[in-house]
Amino acid sequence: MKTISQLTNFYYKSLHPTLTELEADRLALKKRVIIIQAILAIIATAILYFMFKSSVFSIDILAFVGFSYFALAGFTYKLLVKDYAKDFKFRVITPLIKEIDINLRYTPSLHISEMHYTRSGIFTSSPDRVSGNDFVKGKIDGISIEFSDFHAEIEHKDSKGRRSWSTQFQGLFLVSEFPKHFKGKTVILPDTAQSIFGDFIGSFLQSNNFSRNDLIKMDNPVFEKEFVVYGTNQIEARYILSHTLMEKILDFKRRSNHPINLSFNGGKIYMAIEYNKDLFEPSVFHSLLKYKIAMEYVETLHLAIGIVEELKLNEKLWSKL
Amino acid sequence: MSTPLIIAIVIAIVLVLMYNSLVAKKNQVENIFASVDTQLKKRYDLIPNLVSSVSKYMEHEKSLLEDITKLRSEANKPNISDEQKIALDGKMSSVLGSIMIAVENYPDLKANENVMHLQRSLNEVEEQISAARRAYNQAVTDYNNALEQIPTNFMASAMNYKRKEVFEINESERKNVNVKELFNS
Repeated sequence: MKTISQLTNFYYKSLHPTLTELEADRLALKKRVIIIQAILAIIATAILYFMFKSSVFSIDILAFVGFSYFALAGFTYKLLVKDYAKDFKFRVITPLIKEIDINLRYTPSLHISEMHYTRSGIFTSSPDRVSGNDFVKGKIDGISIEFSDFHAEIEHKDSKGRRSWSTQFQGLFLVSEFPKHFKGKTVILPDTAQSIFGDFIGSFLQSNNFSRNDLIKMDNPVFEKEFVVYGTNQIEARYILSHTLMEKILDFKRRSNHPINLSFNGGKIYMAIEYNKDLFEPSVFHSLLKYKIAMEYVETLHLAIGIVEELKLNEKLWSKL
Repeated sequence: MSTPLIIAIVIAIVLVLMYNSLVAKKNQVENIFASVDTQLKKRYDLIPNLVSSVSKYMEHEKSLLEDITKLRSEANKPNISDEQKIALDGKMSSVLGSIMIAVENYPDLKANENVMHLQRSLNEVEEQISAARRAYNQAVTDYNNALEQIPTNFMASAMNYKRKEVFEINESERKNVNVKELFNS
């Protein structure tokens, strides 16, 4: 697989003509966005001003106008940048993915199926609404892999029947084949209880977590500190999580710099990396030529596609050949 | 309800909980040891096949092959204790390791399909044994901790529970293989 610096090179050299064209589009778009947003802001202020004058002003009206303003501003922003975002994905992300591996297929409008998300068992309740985009699917070294941006939300209703949504997961969701045979389910989550409550109370809470399977204590102290493992079978979980794989997962976590959740179920490995934002989207206010922006796209893709090599998922055991 | 009665009930509940947790820990150890045992048997079953396929080639390693056959027959004896099984497993692993290294010296043997198949089977079993051993060690550690920690230690000594031994995991198993070192040696 190509290294990050090779990909950065590709981004700045081969994609340069495209990037300059997109940059011109972006500057024009930015102007449009600022003008339209300014007009909206003026209208909103004017409405508030007249209401204040005509003494029908109340906190409810202020809230209503404020809410409508933000909804409208968000909506128009999305509408304005839609074509630019589409262009960017088609002309920048697509060639970048092809450069990493020619066998990968990229579909900007699709996302990973909800079945994968629920089957992973990483989250105990199933989401009420899912969305996502930037779906990538293909084979690397003969191993099937798919991933996408994914957003899962839970619906809440208060006593007055008002609905609200909260995020269960937002980030990158990956599914790949796993080279070992196993029957049960093993889930690996970031260790929040132990880091908040300390070792003693933390591990007590973890071993009494009724929404999960049995707690499995791992014999790698660093891994045990970073993650908590639940599973249906004590031995199988350790068969999957060999010493080498635990080290590799730790390395992967350090590189990704975001909380990661993993699970092993039905011969597959699932990975949910929490970014808490929509990935692979261009911003109108930042140039695509900026190193930091470019690196975010390159690094995220490299990390996701590199998982096969990184976790050695391509080293199949003979019995699975 | 009078206060002494409430205290008595609370104490009774605590005692029952302690007793149950100790029994659960002991059973967990036994349960996992049964799985370790199954995996070890799987490995022992591969040995006659291995010995018969390599003995024609390995003239200089006859003693290794004799050792391993002897170990296998010892392990197959009825009524050997868990501690003995653990000790035999350690010896078995090291002798098998030496045989596998010796195989590398015989190009014919290495290319032999039967040996290749055996090697892979052994690798797979070896990985499963390693997982089972680690699970067993964790169960034993939990059990031993309960035996020594307050307040379960009083209950454990009343129940006459004894400390159990863990499998020693040799250092080479923990480390990743360093390819550079292999070439230098």
